[in-house]
Amino acid sequence: MNRLVTVAEMTLRELARRRGVLLLLLLMPLTFWLIRRDSYVGQSVRALLLGISWAVSTAALFATSAARELEPRLRLTGYRPHHLYLGRMLGLWGLGLAISVPFFLLTVVDANNLRYGGIAVAMLCCVAVAAPFGMLIGALLPRELEGTLLLLTVVAMQMLLDPADAGAKLTPFWSSREIATWAVDHTDDGYLTRGSLHGLVVTVLLIVTVAGVFAVRLRRRRHLHHVPIA
Amino acid sequence: MNADDWLRAFAAELYQRRVGGDAARHVVAEAATHLREGGGDPWLVFGSPQAYAAAIVESIGTAPGPRPGPVRLHARGITKRYGRQVVLRDASLTVRAGQIAAVVGANGCGKSTFLRICAGLVSPDAGEVTVSGRLGYCPQQGGTADFLLPDEHFVLVGAGQGVPRGPARQAGRAAARQLGWDAGNAVLARHLSGGTRQKLNLTMSTLAQPDVLLLDEPYQGFDQGSYVDLWDQLTRLRDEGRAIVVVTHLLNQLDRVDVVLDLTPAHQGGRS
Repeated sequence: MNRLVTVAEMTLRELARRRGVLLLLLLMPLTFWLIRRDSYVGQSVRALLLGISWAVSTAALFATSAARELEPRLRLTGYRPHHLYLGRMLGLWGLGLAISVPFFLLTVVDANNLRYGGIAVAMLCCVAVAAPFGMLIGALLPRELEGTLLLLTVVAMQMLLDPADAGAKLTPFWSSREIATWAVDHTDDGYLTRGSLHGLVVTVLLIVTVAGVFAVRLRRRRHLHHVPIA
Repeated sequence: MNADDWLRAFAAELYQRRVGGDAARHVVAEAATHLREGGGDPWLVFGSPQAYAAAIVESIGTAPGPRPGPVRLHARGITKRYGRQVVLRDASLTVRAGQIAAVVGANGCGKSTFLRICAGLVSPDAGEVTVSGRLGYCPQQGGTADFLLPDEHFVLVGAGQGVPRGPARQAGRAAARQLGWDAGNAVLARHLSGGTRQKLNLTMSTLAQPDVLLLDEPYQGFDQGSYVDLWDQLTRLRDEGRAIVVVTHLLNQLDRVDVVLDLTPAHQGGRS
């Protein structure tokens, strides 16, 4: 447990010291919000959720890429793969929640007649999905530029696809959009249920995939035999 | 080289030549007193540190060196290809407790790859490695976190072994001092100079008290004094019974090692 907490803490410390990155992380959802603010409150909320998703997954991508050289040697000092990826994920979830709080307050202050509980759940889904999603891309693509371009593609696809389209459900952040519809348009509870279920399933799938990728990347190689000292 | 550097090099030479700890300290203190009171350039007063250390050894003798212990690292038949290019062909190395092995060879002959295979970070196409005890690895570059302080690196490494924060910090600072570096300053790793950053890298690899220590050109960016400190520390670790493998392209220290593995291909004059 101490290992998990230490990795989570160090992840947060590293990110907290990247002031420029933090500023951009806050600026991005705010920009998305401001651009859509004059049109329709539902659009601005959805844009805000997408901004949070994009910001947290980008932070996760960069944190994972930055730790690529460090993790193998931490593995040698006694960490198991799950300490490293779960610890990092915990740190990123913490960061995502910290980013989300001011934006949640912004919606409370700026928009009336919303189901604010729904907005909070949608933000939770964004953060829950974005951390393992960004980590997965960071683990699979060794170069940050490639990872960023892939993230951009996914977010653009998320933005352009009709949420009612069957294919839209395959995108990672569909859940938050569905829940936001329930929260903004006061639709039936099916939206909330479907969205929450989608968020849960996608999060679990992503965590399992991240676990698999890290387990392979940080595996004990078969050619190396450890013999205890007599 | 000023008087302090000369004394440091002299002490390292004595240590390397296995002059007993108290005797070495006494001789160095005498030389320091002589220089302080008499002044003058130590090179003119005593000659080179190596020559004066040799003269001291002749007059007072040396302490017997520890005998090499059991095998700690045994790599046999290591072959590695990248595409059609064979980087390593049937390379083997055995290192015992209390030995330093140097892996040498021309650029691109697979020295770092060999070490990464020994550390279990890369799989070979053939061959196997047996390690007794705990393994430590210091990469040529990278391996640190830009936005963490040295102390936080020590805490991170310490947590891997269940060492509490306070003792991990103290152990890290103590190991850094052996390399002539005060790691207590709150400077982010990304603001450290190349040589100091490499000291952090090296400190992290020794912090876990490894039985087998793998170092990939650990002296990158070191000044002369740090380089001497590094070899002092390696000699000290060897005498404590650690098995050490150093990848190097500097051949002037090969007289300080016990085993040499030359990975230069045979057609280029290698003797692996």
